[in-house]
This record gives sequence, structure tokens and C-alpha cells, in this order.
Amino acid sequence: MTAQPYGVGIGWRPEIDGFVAELPGLRFVEVVAEGVPGTGPVPDGLAALIARGVTVVPHGVRLSLGGAEPVEPQRVGHLARVAELLRAPLVSEHIAYVRAGGMEAGHLLPLPRTRAAVDAVVANVARTRAELPVPIALEPIAALFDWPDDELTEAQFLTEILDRTDALLLLDIANVYANARNRGTDPLALLDALPLDRIAYVHVAGGDEHDGIYHDTHTHAVPEAVLALIRELCARQRPPALLLERDGDYPPADVLRAELDAIAAAADYPTVT
Amino acid sequence: MTGGHDLAARQAELVAALVAGAPIPAGFDQRLVGAARAALLRKRAGEVARHWPLLAAAFGPRWPATFARWAAGRPTQGGLRDGWDLARTLVGRDELPAAAVEELAVRDAGWRYDGTSAPRRRRLPALRRTPGAVVLQVAGRVRVLRPGGGG
Repeated sequence: MTAQPYGVGIGWRPEIDGFVAELPGLRFVEVVAEGVPGTGPVPDGLAALIARGVTVVPHGVRLSLGGAEPVEPQRVGHLARVAELLRAPLVSEHIAYVRAGGMEAGHLLPLPRTRAAVDAVVANVARTRAELPVPIALEPIAALFDWPDDELTEAQFLTEILDRTDALLLLDIANVYANARNRGTDPLALLDALPLDRIAYVHVAGGDEHDGIYHDTHTHAVPEAVLALIRELCARQRPPALLLERDGDYPPADVLRAELDAIAAAADYPTVT
Repeated sequence: MTGGHDLAARQAELVAALVAGAPIPAGFDQRLVGAARAALLRKRAGEVARHWPLLAAAFGPRWPATFARWAAGRPTQGGLRDGWDLARTLVGRDELPAAAVEELAVRDAGWRYDGTSAPRRRRLPALRRTPGAVVLQVAGRVRVLRPGGGG
């Protein structure tokens, strides 16, 4: 996604299919890969978007690339088939694990920032890339807690993984905000330390505070502080694309359009609404 | 931590603490891991509500807490099965509101679910009775008949 900037996109969800279909300037969306049947057909709304030239990126959430156990071959195969069905230029997944010891966590869990965890991610990304027809972008997650085992800083941990896997970076700017706020660290220091030239695209989402902890919910409005971080990121290196993730409690269409416009303004890209 | 084997064991301990009621491993911030545990339950409640809208709606604002009480310490089997298991538990205690009883009857008429493996679509017709209706499934189509009432 480096040849020509895609600008502002949105995560396609069945619930907002009609809204997304009516965005005149839209050039890219993302779809949760596990929600697309590997044998086809492509959901109607997505097929219509592809037909009008919109790029669709499959976003995996259940590979468990950070698991100590090898990725499950049928999950990798599914992601590869979906990438082909959607004619996607790349896929994305998380630097996280979602199951261990035969038990599903039901969510993305943080890894210890250790050499052993780097090795586990690198091995699983290599297994995955061997089956994929396109490049993969890796997304660091929002973590509500850290491991006591940490040996590396977050920037060291992520940079080492990207260097050793040759993967692209899917930077979630709302996760950068959430982690810095909850850990009491400086989000700009992290931006300064990350390889921003490796960014394939950026995630933007809203969240909410609960008992003094900021949760990256994807069901609340995007805070002004996250838009400010987009401006800071673009001042350093403007990413080729930014994508709004909204996963529930959908607001009225004009509110969602205003969020897309605010992201476009913060990154100085054309509006898509 | 020295290698992949230790990492596997440590990851499994943490998942068990988050979803199966196991103790939080030493060294982790108890408050923050506890918050993550609660956030996971809220997320699961939302997923079950998508599969079982009448079940969730029947409890209104009490739904997240109702679900969390039942689900705490019980690893997820996915939103569909979690909701199914909870609905059956509640109907067995006579605590399931009427609309949700019918939602359960519709599912049970269409699918065979033994409570331990993935539900499978029924090939044969099935009939379920609720206090207010009769639910009939023939050839995959489900009808809700309300004797003496509309609809």
C-alpha cells in the first residue's frame, strides 16, 4: 500500500454495509478475515466495493501469531484463501496471542517483551508468510497489563520483530494512546522510536475510561487526544492510509461521517464522505 | 523465562487466570489483570447478545452482570454456544423471561445441540412447546404458532 496513498478508510462490518457503500470517495476498507468464508462467496457488500475499485484488506484476529505453539495450518490457509478471494494487496494480523493450553482467551492478549516471545512471533510469521500470496502487516495491541518478564522496551520489541520478519507495520494510533495513558509513558517517545517508514496503514478507534483505566473499545467516539496523535504522527511521517475501526454501538450516519472527516483533516487527506 | 517451553506454560497460566478462574500468576498486577478479566466478560456479553438478542434484551441493563455471573470462570465456547448454555440453565431454573424462552425453543427446534459439541442442523421435523406458543420446524423452516393469539 505504498504506491499511491489510499487516504481514509473504514472497517467494513455487516451492520454498516449500507453506510460504507454510500461513501463516494472511499478507496479502501478492511474486513475481519475470520468472518469471510474461505470457499466464498464474498459477501455482497464487499463484492460491490471490489467491483468499484475499493481495496479490501483481510484483517485476521485469531491466528495467535504470538503463541508459543505453532500457528494452526488451517487458519493460515483460510487467511491465504480470503486474500485471494478479495484480491487483497496485503493482509494484517496482531502481535498477540489468543489461546494457550487448549483454551481460548476470546481476545488479543499481550506478550512478554522477551527474546523468547520475539522468537515465537518470528517463527509463526515465517510459517504464515510461506502460505500467503501477499505481504503481511503486523499490529501491536492495546494491553491492559504488562508481563513481569519484560526485558525489552516496546520499541525494541516491535522493531526487532519487524526487522526479523520483514513484515510491514500496522500501527494502531489509538493503541499507542491507550498504552501510554495507562502506563503513564510518553506516546511521542514511542512514535520517535518506531520505524514509521514501515507503516502500511494506521488504525484509529475510540475508547472509554472505566475505573481509571482507558479501554480501547471500538464502540465509543474517537477522542480528540487520538486525533492530536495522528497530527503528531503525520508531522513525522504521514502514513499512506488511516482506517477507522468501529465495532458496535454504531452512531447515526452523520456522526460516523464527521469522525471520518476529522481523521482526514488530522492527516490532511481528502474527505471520503 | 528461558525458552519456548516456558513461554507456552506461562501463556497457558495467564489464559487460565483470565477465563477459567485460575489464580493470577505471580508478578502480574492483580488489579490490572482483574480489569482485563472483567473487560473480557463484557466483550463476551456483547457477543452473546448478538447471537441471542431476546435473551440479552430480556435482562435489559442487568444483562452484562447477569452474563458475567454465569460466565466467570467458564471459558468461552463462542457466543452462540455460551448463550445457548446460559439459556438452558435459566430455563431449567424457571428464570428465563418468556421472549427468551421462545428464542431458545426456535433454536432447539432447528438445531441439535448436545451442550458439548458444535450445534448441527436437524434433518427431521421438530416440535417445541413453550407456555405461549408451539414452535414447529419442517425442512429447516421454523414457524411459531400461538394458539388463540395472533401471529
